[in-house]
Amino acid sequence: MAGVSEHAKRWSLAVNWLVERVCVLLLVVLVLDVWLGVLVRYVIPLPLTFTEELARYLMIWMALLAVSSGIAHREHIGVEFVFSRLPASVRRWLAVAFDVIAFLFFFALFFYGIGFAVKGFSRFTMIYAIPKGYPFMGVPLAAAMACIQLALIGVHDFFAREAPTSTGVSDATMALRGDD
Amino acid sequence: MGALLVAIAFFGLMALGMPVGFAIGVSGMIGILEMGPRFMQMAPDRIFAGLDLFPFLAMPFFILAGEIMNRSGITLGLVRLADALVGWMRGGMAHSNMVASVMFAGITGSATADAAAFGNTLVPAMEKAGYKRSYAAAVTAAGSIIGPTIPPSTLAIIYGSIMGVSIAGLFAAGILPGLLICAICMAVIALHAKKKNLPKGEGRPGFGIVIKALREGFLAAMLPVFILGSILGGFATPTEAAAIAVAYALFVGGVIYKALSWQDLYEIAVRTTRITGVIFLIIASATILGWWMTFNRIPQAIASVLLSVSDNPQIIIALILLLLLLIGLVMDINATLIILAPVLAPLTVQIGMEPVHAGIMIILALNISLMTPPVGACLFVLASVTGEKVEAITRELWPFILAEVGILLVVAFWSDLTLFIPRLLGL
Repeated sequence: MAGVSEHAKRWSLAVNWLVERVCVLLLVVLVLDVWLGVLVRYVIPLPLTFTEELARYLMIWMALLAVSSGIAHREHIGVEFVFSRLPASVRRWLAVAFDVIAFLFFFALFFYGIGFAVKGFSRFTMIYAIPKGYPFMGVPLAAAMACIQLALIGVHDFFAREAPTSTGVSDATMALRGDD
Repeated sequence: MGALLVAIAFFGLMALGMPVGFAIGVSGMIGILEMGPRFMQMAPDRIFAGLDLFPFLAMPFFILAGEIMNRSGITLGLVRLADALVGWMRGGMAHSNMVASVMFAGITGSATADAAAFGNTLVPAMEKAGYKRSYAAAVTAAGSIIGPTIPPSTLAIIYGSIMGVSIAGLFAAGILPGLLICAICMAVIALHAKKKNLPKGEGRPGFGIVIKALREGFLAAMLPVFILGSILGGFATPTEAAAIAVAYALFVGGVIYKALSWQDLYEIAVRTTRITGVIFLIIASATILGWWMTFNRIPQAIASVLLSVSDNPQIIIALILLLLLLIGLVMDINATLIILAPVLAPLTVQIGMEPVHAGIMIILALNISLMTPPVGACLFVLASVTGEKVEAITRELWPFILAEVGILLVVAFWSDLTLFIPRLLGL
């Protein structure tokens, strides 16, 4: 059954490939937007007022979408004092249980997030009076991506040959430790 | 009943090892669900509102600037500079580890990132020079909390944003406590130097070597000067200063040092988005739980319990510190800050503390908990990176923890000291 686990991991990385690029694009636009804001405030006085509003929404979209990326790479750090001392079989079941519980959490966020975004279309942003539904859509979208990643990672955890040793260790730490 | 369920989910899931951001979100959601399904839309609503703050933008930007500086190797110059300044003493490498922590503090706001980087570079170097690995790791852990105390500090940005306290004021107030922590840790090292017979450096470096190190570290050292100067001087908001810091780091790393390829930049951007995602999920989840707590008037209950013990301000401050240090033993500090700040801040106002003073006291107490066993994040990262046992590091760490708690008490009870720099700058 290790093949199923490998497949799930591959799919997870493939989905993440796209999400990661979207996040980087959002970050680049965000940086340029705030630079523009600084420029028009201090150097070239132009009446551009959208930069602040846009920056906040870009940041929220970027950060929330990156949550699923963190799931794919297991970067959401937990307190592993107990977990790392448990036997392998318990670790496997516990890791899968966490994936299922977190899936339910994000699914609820997705479900109620849709209603939240729909209602948002009747409210407007302060400066440019854009329907707030557009920025609000980031919440259900990011929750959906998190659900997809949790499902794939859950399958990976369940069928993997070795039980997970960690519920979340940053890539950087793994690389420094030489486990990657 | 609802509160009990939330508490069990919160502490249970977290203790078993569920990622912090998930565990907090799940327990908040359980609380809302128990109130009734019609409240469920509050969860996405709170998540969005909790993140929709302009000052929060400073966080991804400071992370990005720090990543660029690290990747381009500019920060290595700082380590050499610290070594040239204090490395010649007995226990010199331990001292230069501390001084380098102060220099790094002005670039990154993340203690765990500093701990990981130092644990991977300085700890092996110290071990090679004859230090015990557990001692080298303990020194690094003790120094790692200087980073998030000296500005720019993520906790100061979060506290300032949610409590409406001046972030510039908090930044200014963080400088002295950060330097004091460095000083007291160096004093502890000096005491250890003889008792533990710590290795001696190679003698005082020549003037030429110091000048060379200064030149190498200059461009990196200018970044914090620049960031702080613009924020504390009132020229730029923290977000703007952070955005300018990104431009500066890109210019120095890419144009002057020519140490950044497009691939490097892409990887730096990916890391920045992921680190931001992890922190922002914790913030967002804590906002859900925080809303549930407020709705159920739990902050008022905690406050009235604290006030029922005594109405003496000194005792209340001591209780607040005790509460923060105890909770910090087992909880993520960002989450603790978001959940407890709205509880504790009004209390500190009630007993007559200045908001900036109270803020920096709370931030420092939480930072200290980054290195306390059993689950301090820096301690864990260091154990993981160096391969040393948490218990072994802890044995060497106690004197540093006690010394830093001493500084915390000074900061908490001597407001004039903490507020000296903010007042000097008129913040």
